[in-house]
Amino acid sequence: MTGVRGARGVLLTFAVLALAGCADKQNTLAPASKQEGRISTLFWIMMAGAWIGFAIIVGLLVLGWVNRRREGLPGGGGERAATRIVIVMGVFVPIVLLSTLFVYSNIFVVKSTAAPPPGTTVRTLGVVGHQWFWEVRYPGTEAVTANEIHIPVNTRVNVVATTDDVIHSFWVPQLNRKIDMIPGRENRVLLAADRTGVFRGECAEFCGLQHAHMSMQVVAEPVAKFKRWLANMARPAPAPTSSDERRGREVFLSKACSGCHTVRGTDAAGKIGPDLTHVASRSTLAALTIPNTRDYLFRWIHDPQQFKEGVKMPSLHLTDSEVNALVAYLRSLK
Amino acid sequence: MAVDVRAPEHPRVQRLEQVWEERPGILGWLTTVDHKRIGLLYFFTTLAFFGAGGIEALLIRTQLAQPESKVLAPDTFNELFTTHGVTMIFLFVIPMTTGAFGNYLVPLMIGSRDMAFPRMNALSYWLFLGSGIFIYIGLFMGFGPNAGWFDYVPLALRHFNPGPNVDFYALGLILNGVSSTLAAINFIVTIFKLRAPGMSLNRMPLFCFAMLAVSLALIFALPALTIDLVFLELSRKVGFQFFIPGNGGDPLLWQHLFWLFAHPEVYIIVLPAFGIATSIIPTFAKRRMIAFPLVALAELLVAFIGFGVWAHHMFATGLPTITLVFFAAATLMVVIPSTIQVYAWTMTVSAGRPEFRAPLLFIGGFIVFFVMGGLSGIMFAAIPFDQATTDTYFVVAHFHFIIFGAAVFPILGGMYYWFPKVTGRLYHEGLAQLSFWLAFVGTALTFFPMHIVGLIGMPRRVYTYPHGLGWDSYNLIETIGSYILAAGLLLVAFNLIYSRFSGAPAGPDPFHGGTLEWTIPSPPPHYNFAVIPTVSSAYPNWDEPDRAVDAGKLERGELTYEAGHETPTSTVRDGVFDEVVDMPSESPWPVTLAFFAALALVMVLISHYAIAGIFLLLVLFSLAGWHWKEPQEA
Amino acid sequence: MSVIRSMHAPPGRADRHRIARPNGWWGVVVFIATEATLFGTIFGSYFYLRFRTAAWPPKGIPDPAVTVPAILTAVLVATSLVVQLAFWAGRAGRVRAAQWLLVLALIVQGAYFGIQMHLFLDDLDKFSPSGSAYASIYFTMLGAHHAHVVFGMFLELFLVLRLVAGLTNYRLIGLQATTFYWHFVNVLALCVLATQIYAAL
Repeated sequence: MTGVRGARGVLLTFAVLALAGCADKQNTLAPASKQEGRISTLFWIMMAGAWIGFAIIVGLLVLGWVNRRREGLPGGGGERAATRIVIVMGVFVPIVLLSTLFVYSNIFVVKSTAAPPPGTTVRTLGVVGHQWFWEVRYPGTEAVTANEIHIPVNTRVNVVATTDDVIHSFWVPQLNRKIDMIPGRENRVLLAADRTGVFRGECAEFCGLQHAHMSMQVVAEPVAKFKRWLANMARPAPAPTSSDERRGREVFLSKACSGCHTVRGTDAAGKIGPDLTHVASRSTLAALTIPNTRDYLFRWIHDPQQFKEGVKMPSLHLTDSEVNALVAYLRSLK
Repeated sequence: MAVDVRAPEHPRVQRLEQVWEERPGILGWLTTVDHKRIGLLYFFTTLAFFGAGGIEALLIRTQLAQPESKVLAPDTFNELFTTHGVTMIFLFVIPMTTGAFGNYLVPLMIGSRDMAFPRMNALSYWLFLGSGIFIYIGLFMGFGPNAGWFDYVPLALRHFNPGPNVDFYALGLILNGVSSTLAAINFIVTIFKLRAPGMSLNRMPLFCFAMLAVSLALIFALPALTIDLVFLELSRKVGFQFFIPGNGGDPLLWQHLFWLFAHPEVYIIVLPAFGIATSIIPTFAKRRMIAFPLVALAELLVAFIGFGVWAHHMFATGLPTITLVFFAAATLMVVIPSTIQVYAWTMTVSAGRPEFRAPLLFIGGFIVFFVMGGLSGIMFAAIPFDQATTDTYFVVAHFHFIIFGAAVFPILGGMYYWFPKVTGRLYHEGLAQLSFWLAFVGTALTFFPMHIVGLIGMPRRVYTYPHGLGWDSYNLIETIGSYILAAGLLLVAFNLIYSRFSGAPAGPDPFHGGTLEWTIPSPPPHYNFAVIPTVSSAYPNWDEPDRAVDAGKLERGELTYEAGHETPTSTVRDGVFDEVVDMPSESPWPVTLAFFAALALVMVLISHYAIAGIFLLLVLFSLAGWHWKEPQEA
Repeated sequence: MSVIRSMHAPPGRADRHRIARPNGWWGVVVFIATEATLFGTIFGSYFYLRFRTAAWPPKGIPDPAVTVPAILTAVLVATSLVVQLAFWAGRAGRVRAAQWLLVLALIVQGAYFGIQMHLFLDDLDKFSPSGSAYASIYFTMLGAHHAHVVFGMFLELFLVLRLVAGLTNYRLIGLQATTFYWHFVNVLALCVLATQIYAAL
């Protein structure tokens, strides 16, 4: 028994070190908002209580083993004493502890994670889940983007979440709880980053083949920088400036691309895939599956299935020269 | 010291053997109605499914050992994790605890010669086997269930899931549900009516209380799943609109109905295991269970309160906060009967003189892991924390500690504990203890890191994950742990097989347990008890005077009922003798009816509804044929 | 203490001497409990969907008929008395009377079922179950009820045939079980009728 408890101790140390030091990217215990901070605190308190409760039971079992040659409880006492312990520790102590936990977590902390009451947020954004990307809109503007969400820091942002197909779940662990995206419903969650940074999120409800590759980034930035970004997102696509880029736009509009994708300012108005109007401004592609570089973009267009098997974008069997042109064009869409 | 009442040469005993013996060979097994044989059929079948589910788990862990691994394609992975869940819950744990342990032991523990409805017992088994084969045919054809074991809509609807994968899931589980419902009816009536005279309810073994609680839970929980699956199939096959928001439907209707069933289901998973623990502890602690009436009540309360907590699986769906708070309160309430039991078990071990042989070691492991899983469960009753960690590996850790710890460990301990009774031989103690430690360390290594990796952001049901998020080493440890766990389980199997052929003879009562199964020979004769035992306490095998009285009765033919294929019944509460009933002998109808029922569902799967109707008529026909001859004529 | 081998004793005597209810009684009661829960989930789903929908029935779908179904339900519920009388007759040893009462019940229930089938098919012509959640739950609820009526008729038919060879304890318990089953089906019929009336209001 002691060997196992030792192993558990090692694991716990490992855990603490790991949690403290490793990549913060999706760590619920590395909060970047007051809301997540309260969840994190709640966890540490519960964990402390849990280890105490666990130690009591394991301790009692060990004591039972140590005292195995004698009838009766280790500290003395027989059936009546044992029954009393069952009632006190099994009924009364849990009632007290659980009631306290209930009040603290489900009456107080829950206020932070509940949907923001109307009128308490300064900004609203809408996210629509698709198999397997995030459509992001900023109501009141023309801005539409995908997979990379920008918010002003230290601002209460109301995220209205729904889905176009199956149930997804919007989850940015460092900022707040997850909220399911359910057909026919609009659910709300508050994002209020209290420091700048890039926070990773992921779909948290099994949504089919590529559920594992449906991640997103939430970029919390200073208000002025955010406003510049938003203004850019709202603008239609910049016109091509080189012949390569012009050729790329031709390919985009004449081949199947425009059937699925929108590039505002052109005739491409497809609704199946993500909006590509400012695709070059994003740091990743395919919902954080691959980096947004020339090389990866080429390989993605050439054969998306190699990175994200089952994704709805087929391999279009384009020539290398056509793909190169497309890459040039898309990389101009900043 | 148990008194052996077999006395094989005695004419009454020989007459009993003659009346209760069944046909040998395959035909005997196909037509059996003997609860012990049916229990063994369940045992081996569920073990095979455990193996299948285990292989699925090892494949999953192998894929997840490293980031961006290409061991499994995404669609294969999705079928594997779904089928793993469905197999472990519906084809292993529940049929093992109810069908194998329950069937074999309940009649023995209450002093009866069989279950109340022996042919229906056989039917339950054949329907269960049919449901398992049905689902696995789907898997082997490449159409395994693939939308998760809770199969949320709209992902499970035909628009997003056009193949027959979900149909294999839904129809297979409908068949499985019928099997479990019939088994539950059988247990309730057996426990109420077939107890030996003198066994009032408060003298009934705690394992039987657990089986009663489980059966009541199944009766009231399964209909929600059945109707949900019927709605799903009607939607998929014929276009019904239950779940489509545009037309007045609601995807959350699926979730409410599903969890209305599935939360009680998780108590159905653990309750019989609690029953096994409460059988093993008094024997090896060498004293009565502390707070016996409280424990019995707690078992029933867990099942009852467990019906009021289902929406805690839906805390992230956007339900109104007041609703969430209600369910969180109910979830915290259901903790109390569990803490009562944990302390009762622990106090019994503490106050007794525990001998940590393999069965008690496994129960020790059970208590450790159940408490761990229970504590993380309590954390989930804190709504904000649940909303942060649901659908991550934190919850995977929670329920695996509960299922592995609180269901599988008692099953393993129970296998060792009753192995001598079923086979007449002793298992190898040294190997058994080693198998425990391997399984214990393996379980801890596999599932404990999942808490951490879930907290640092890894969602569940992902076929791979990226580098650089800090999840790599935890996943690798978990995979190594799973291999160690598999080794431990294989060692259990090896020990039991080896000991079956080479173990020392066990005699009727190797561990001096308190309940009635230890008063009869090992393995039990077909008729179980030559003399229906007189019971005046909850631990009849520890009551020497009663057992001596039984021995005298054989001579005088009292309570022997060897004239026909008979067993006595008694009143529900006080166990006062009532009447003698005739029990049926072997029958071909259960397997026939199950066959037609399975074929009817196959026809629905391939959308041939008229032919399905014909097979349903054949089911009714079989029902008529079954009841045509009465037990004493057959 | 005299041991009553009930299966060999005259049925009425065994019935009177028992202290507890027979196994078959308990079996049917538990079975009915689970079937009642099944219908509970159907009614629960009905009202869940109802309270998420503004118009019930939705526009374009006629209100459910009330008058004819009410009369039919009253007739069906009346057969509960007939079946109960059949059981009492059996318990008193009047086997032929029991058989004829069962046949009467069968005829009335058969007529009920026939007319209900006609109404059901008529409804299907008017609106499709795949047109709305209302239609889906409407047809499922009615279909489940009618299926239970058919099964009840099957139970009665079986007993009528078996009673040709006379009454035994086993068959008497079967008769009692069928009686319970029919009372349950009839309570359900009233619940279904109440739901239809609610929707028509």
